[in-house]
Amino acid sequence: MLRSTIKKTAGLLTGAGLALGLSVGAAMAEYPEKPITMVIPLGAGGSHDLNARVITSIIPTYLNQAMIVRLTPGAGGQKGTQEVANATADGYTLLFTHNYIDMLQQHVENLPYEPGEDFVPVARVNYAPIAVVVRGDSPYQTMEDLVAASKANPGGIQMAHSGNWGALFVPAAQIMKALDMQWNLVPYQGGGPAMQALLSGDADVTMGFPSTIAAQVDSGDLRVLATAGAERIYDDVPTFAEVGVAGDVGFMHRVVLAPADTPQEALDTLTSAFKALGEDKTFTRMMGRLGESIDIIDGPAYEAMRVEQSSAYKTLVESLTSQ
Amino acid sequence: MFDYFLEGFGMALRLDTFGMMALGLFGGMLVGALPGFTTLMAMAILLPISFFLDPIVGIPFLLGIYKGGIFGGSIPAILVSMPGTGAAVATSRDGYALTKKGKSRKALDMALFSSVFGDTMSDIFTILMIFPIALLVMQFGPPELFAVLLLSLVIIAATSGSNPLKALIMMLLGLWLSFVGTDPLGGVERFTFGIFDLKSGIPLLPMLIGVFAIPEVASVVMKNERTKQLASVLGERLSFKEFRASFRTICRSTVIGTGIGIIPGLGQVVAAMMGYSAAKNASSHPETFGEGELEGVAAAEAANNAVNGPTMVPLLTLGIPGDNVTAILLGAFVAQGLRPGPQLFEEQGATVFAILVAMVFANLMFLVIGYFSIPIFSRLVTIKVSILIPLVIMFAFAGAYVFRSDSVDLLMLVGFGIFGIIAKAAKFDVMPMVMGFILGPPMEYAFGQTVAMTNGEAVNFFLTERLGAVLVLIAAPVIGYLLWRRMQTVTVTGH
Repeated sequence: MLRSTIKKTAGLLTGAGLALGLSVGAAMAEYPEKPITMVIPLGAGGSHDLNARVITSIIPTYLNQAMIVRLTPGAGGQKGTQEVANATADGYTLLFTHNYIDMLQQHVENLPYEPGEDFVPVARVNYAPIAVVVRGDSPYQTMEDLVAASKANPGGIQMAHSGNWGALFVPAAQIMKALDMQWNLVPYQGGGPAMQALLSGDADVTMGFPSTIAAQVDSGDLRVLATAGAERIYDDVPTFAEVGVAGDVGFMHRVVLAPADTPQEALDTLTSAFKALGEDKTFTRMMGRLGESIDIIDGPAYEAMRVEQSSAYKTLVESLTSQ
Repeated sequence: MFDYFLEGFGMALRLDTFGMMALGLFGGMLVGALPGFTTLMAMAILLPISFFLDPIVGIPFLLGIYKGGIFGGSIPAILVSMPGTGAAVATSRDGYALTKKGKSRKALDMALFSSVFGDTMSDIFTILMIFPIALLVMQFGPPELFAVLLLSLVIIAATSGSNPLKALIMMLLGLWLSFVGTDPLGGVERFTFGIFDLKSGIPLLPMLIGVFAIPEVASVVMKNERTKQLASVLGERLSFKEFRASFRTICRSTVIGTGIGIIPGLGQVVAAMMGYSAAKNASSHPETFGEGELEGVAAAEAANNAVNGPTMVPLLTLGIPGDNVTAILLGAFVAQGLRPGPQLFEEQGATVFAILVAMVFANLMFLVIGYFSIPIFSRLVTIKVSILIPLVIMFAFAGAYVFRSDSVDLLMLVGFGIFGIIAKAAKFDVMPMVMGFILGPPMEYAFGQTVAMTNGEAVNFFLTERLGAVLVLIAAPVIGYLLWRRMQTVTVTGH
């Protein structure tokens, strides 16, 4: 056992060394001729960080170059985003972000950059659909029960979310708007503490990604009332579309963006590398172990989605802030 | 359950588990000793390696990095007054004073022994009491967190020095500095004067290095001690007698740290400060704290390491990570097909106990690794001042920069350095300021959450649902006053 462990570790280290060696010996003329930096505008240990660690340990195989993660948290993601917006558009600085930072914030406040104009999407790596959950012993058996109770007592239902304009807050606001009801939205410092608030009884409802709530759903501590999208994730749980919430609501898309003027050939190289990554066996296995899906969409296709997101968020923010 | 424990105990006794754990401990210690590099970064970068290892090898490897890293942080805190994290601030106070007296080895030894003791005891306590702790964790929500944080600040202000007014002024300054940036609840910009770089607030690391390390460097330079070495002697190791003299303090801090670890959202900074304050308060000679008191190092280190055991409980029993370190561990668990949550103990009981037992072994192993590493680290202080001071300055700037790779942080470092020099000359203690700065944001957040939860019916909410928080809030000023009175009488008669 010890021997196999040493072997595996040694194998990994040689792999890393090889990637480094290749990066030195690669042909100088062609992109990429030096390591690529991927900026994450979020903190260490979050889901983006974990996803990026897996991506950057496999993608050198297809780029013949190392990819380095740089965490630049701050100002709700704006610090790292601004850094990439100002970076030289040579394909060596990329941004790994999600749709709420990317497309929503511009409608909430003045940003030191223009998300739509300063960036081009390289690839969407994956997305996570959100699920509305209550405690297993909650009186709300179905989404209808919860909606009825919420309408009967506006603001009386406590909804724990992971921070204003975040991945739980936005779908909650969208659901409230679509179903014409009012929850009392209480912020927590992340999805974990919000889930704990639900389990301890401080909150009546919260949301979570299926990969993170599986254990409590199986044990009966949590009950899922609805899941995002038009296709059912659990056989017996309705989708947002079925309960009357339509559109791109409740999806967190993890995307890689590049500064707007990045040369086309660099973008093409990156796009094909990400496409190959999506089919890589080790990558699929490692992401599967993390409980993350893989749904690579190339840049132009995701750009169309960005435009839609932007206009949907714009109306949402306007209706929320006009009250 | 006991069968699982025995089975797990056997599973943990593997050579490769121990080998990787030792690697993690040593590597973590090196990373933790470099200011600006956090153990969190090291864990995130090395996480993919654990995917390819057996669960009982990969997870102890990550735990090793974590445990080694916490101790590593106290090395620069003790040797050059450069705490890289908030948790090492309390250690640095007496630790660096001991270094100046030529007792750096004793300080490092004490830090090692007390942190291993605190960690081991809290891990064993956690293994025995994991389910009761899980129930207790659920009793703490935002109102309770707010009350406990406020109480902590009151205790820090009351026990920090002979002049509580100065301490209070500094603490308020720290709280105000923590307001700079984007308000975490409402998203409103405060005191940023439209400067984008201030939008994400003032970063902690430049403040820590600025107010603690720079003034010490400046005082050595200003005294022009060209030939004299910072501490010419290597110093002796800790004697058993000295350890025994601090044993009561270590035990007290272990209990305090374990208790604080149970409350989600408090963490090591509060534990270290509470352990330190309690030791100072219980001491018959509180005036020697801060002047190079071995008990001070022991109190802080035992307390901040005793937090480790209970913080694993929400992760293991609920599958909920309370902070970023446990979030990375969650990633490692999940990647191994172990899904933390209510059924984990039923389905994988033996494996979980094997990991918990490995935590205890990691501590014992670290005792050995640390003991033989300390002589190497403590040689640092025997370097000539003309070389050491430029080195410290370089590490100060590199550490402040590397954390966010933002050149603004270098300006902050210089600014806080100058502030630290002035505060030292005016005899204002910077510790309450740093604590106000660190504890201000979580306290404000908890307050905002509490307001949101009450939904406009505060009186009803507190009196029917949150009586515990109310009691702590009422008790805070009383406890603060009593501590202050005691500090005054003891210091006056002690002189």
